[in-house]
Amino acid sequence: MTPSALDHAISVQNVTKRYGSFVAVDDFTFDVRPGEIFAMLGPNGAGKTTTLRMILDILKPDSGAISVLGGPITDSAKDRIGYLPEERGLYRDVPVLQVLTYLGQLKGMSQGEAERRATELLHHVDLGDNVKSKVSELSKGMQQKVQVVATILHHPDLIIVDEPFAGLDPVNTQVIKDLLYEMNRDGMTIVMSTHQMHQIEEMADRLVMIDHGHRVLYGSVQEVRDRFAQNAVIVEGQGDWAALSGVTAVEVHDNGREFLLRLAEGTTPDQIMHAAAVGKDYHVRRFELAVPSLNEIFIQVAGGNGTNGGR
Amino acid sequence: MSWRKIWVVLRREFQFNFKRPSFLFTALGLPVLMVAAMFLTVKITSGRETDLSKFLTIGYIDRADIITQNDPGDSEITYQPVTAPDLTPLADDADPDARAAYFAALEEAAAQQVVDGALDGYFVVSDQYVLTGQIDLFAQGNIPRALYEEVEDFMRAQIAALAPADLPVSQDRLREDPSITIRDIDSNDELSDAALIGRFLLPFIFVLVYAMAVNTTAQFLMNGVVEEKENRLMEILATSLRPLDLLWGKLLGLGALSLTQVVLWLGAGLIIMQVNDDAREFISGVTFRAGDLVLIAVLFLINFMLYAAIMLGIGASVTAEAEGRQFAGIFTFITVTPMMLLVTFFENPNGLLPQIFTFFPLTAATGLILRMGLTTLPTWQILLSVGIQIVSVLVVMWLAAKVFRLGMLMYGKPLTPRALWQALREGHVTLTTATAEAAPQRSRKRKGLWR
Repeated sequence: MTPSALDHAISVQNVTKRYGSFVAVDDFTFDVRPGEIFAMLGPNGAGKTTTLRMILDILKPDSGAISVLGGPITDSAKDRIGYLPEERGLYRDVPVLQVLTYLGQLKGMSQGEAERRATELLHHVDLGDNVKSKVSELSKGMQQKVQVVATILHHPDLIIVDEPFAGLDPVNTQVIKDLLYEMNRDGMTIVMSTHQMHQIEEMADRLVMIDHGHRVLYGSVQEVRDRFAQNAVIVEGQGDWAALSGVTAVEVHDNGREFLLRLAEGTTPDQIMHAAAVGKDYHVRRFELAVPSLNEIFIQVAGGNGTNGGR
Repeated sequence: MSWRKIWVVLRREFQFNFKRPSFLFTALGLPVLMVAAMFLTVKITSGRETDLSKFLTIGYIDRADIITQNDPGDSEITYQPVTAPDLTPLADDADPDARAAYFAALEEAAAQQVVDGALDGYFVVSDQYVLTGQIDLFAQGNIPRALYEEVEDFMRAQIAALAPADLPVSQDRLREDPSITIRDIDSNDELSDAALIGRFLLPFIFVLVYAMAVNTTAQFLMNGVVEEKENRLMEILATSLRPLDLLWGKLLGLGALSLTQVVLWLGAGLIIMQVNDDAREFISGVTFRAGDLVLIAVLFLINFMLYAAIMLGIGASVTAEAEGRQFAGIFTFITVTPMMLLVTFFENPNGLLPQIFTFFPLTAATGLILRMGLTTLPTWQILLSVGIQIVSVLVVMWLAAKVFRLGMLMYGKPLTPRALWQALREGHVTLTTATAEAAPQRSRKRKGLWR
């Protein structure tokens, strides 16, 4: 079954996992759609890695059901998954191509096919000159790129990457990001767990946030941001903002360059924009809706101030 | 089980570990070094033991008054009584104290003459020579074996000269060495001196080679698992194949490597046998029969699996290679204990300690082979020992697989015996692997690990 013919690339239904008396994941439910880039976020120890390990069948859930690529995970389904764990490494004293060929063969590729594809991908990520280098001879960033190559080597239908950009400089981050986009364009479903909120905002279609084992946010990135949007606007410029009709409070942000105008119930941002535009004592350089960034939402939710956004 | 993936792991483990410098040294370098050392030792010592060119004049002090002939045969050595010009000759009726003082002075003079170069050595025939045959031989530096034999011949000639004329034994016979032929009790075949030494030493050498092969490769297995844990590769491997496939791939790959090592050593032994007569004689002393060799091959397999499983368990439990080596050292020490206490096997192969070694799982293989080389064992003892080993292998492998699955993803923290005991008692461990089983809910009821 091709991923696009599936309802869900991954379906996690009411999954609970305990370690002794500690509940790591509690009645957790979400779906990943075929062909999307899906983000899983949450503070440290929230249950992300446990969930990923359950999806990959490294751990068994105590209750609930998980379906991957159309059913309970099987050995052949595993060969269609590429996994980049957070705790990662490679055989250090072995040439890069040899390591990749071995890992490719373990995913069901023939030796020749694995070698050919590994060489091709290494060139693609600017490591063409390091095919015969030992892993220990590579820089941390280069090793990270080899890891990503190992994850996508066998052309999986589903890629699960845990903190894929950790330890990478901006140039290499872009190389990996482009590679992931390319894989996604080819139809691969990507599940990404990361703390880098701007990467999620930029790359992900949908997200789920887990905290203390519970789902606290779930939906498309835009939906989540809209859900946390306040009845407020952000302006930059000069003028007596508090004097505008419908503004109930003004907060000064960013060293006085930026102002958050809280609006009275029934007042719309359009009315404020109009009032500022026609008022001769107002000069507006920037005007936008006060939609929080994912980072702010993350801090708000993980800090215990979240609304029940886990819908 | 995926045999294709097991084969991939097997091939990788074999090829990677075959290229390790430590393996190449143990498998190829060590036999070469041992043969070279043996060859050099034989060359040096054989020259030293037969070279009499530095021993032309040998003095003697005859306290038993038995020497009557200074040139009894065709020896190139000149024998002469030790004399001391300043010393008053011993009176016939001298008391014991005077005799003792006289001979002490004579020995002192002899020692001085050796230092001065007048004599190349001397020997003292004891007062009770007729009863004890005691002779003390002195010389500077190494005294070759050939000199002992020359002096023995010289003394036998003295005894022959004293024999009465009507003795029904010829003087020539009395001058010669006794002729003893040593034969194998079962085959009645004649055994040379080399074969006789081989009979004692070969089981030991065999067990040593055996233990080295097993320990070297089993420790590679441990190092490999620790490396995969240290390098955080386990999680990728765990999502690529079942732990049991990984475990079997490693066991078979390194088992094949161990076998290769033994074959290389046996091959070297056979080549040496072909080109060296002494080696052939040495090996002809071995008491193993064809059936024994089959049994030894089976024991090798069982023993490898036992140690490999132990090393696998250690590798999965520890967090660093150094820590693993400490634990492995304990088990290696236990394996070589029979070799360290080899003398107890020589003294009595059926003694209590050799029997304990035969039935204790960790020493059973080495204990059994050592005893088989030295004595004929009752069939029940062989069967019981092999049975104990088979049961031990099954138990240890079962346990090792649990430890492996529990410990493989525990980075940075060791697997404690408490955690292991808890997992065993609860009848399940947290880590499982992919199967075609349906709903994960059912996993709650699953007790076993093995599928």
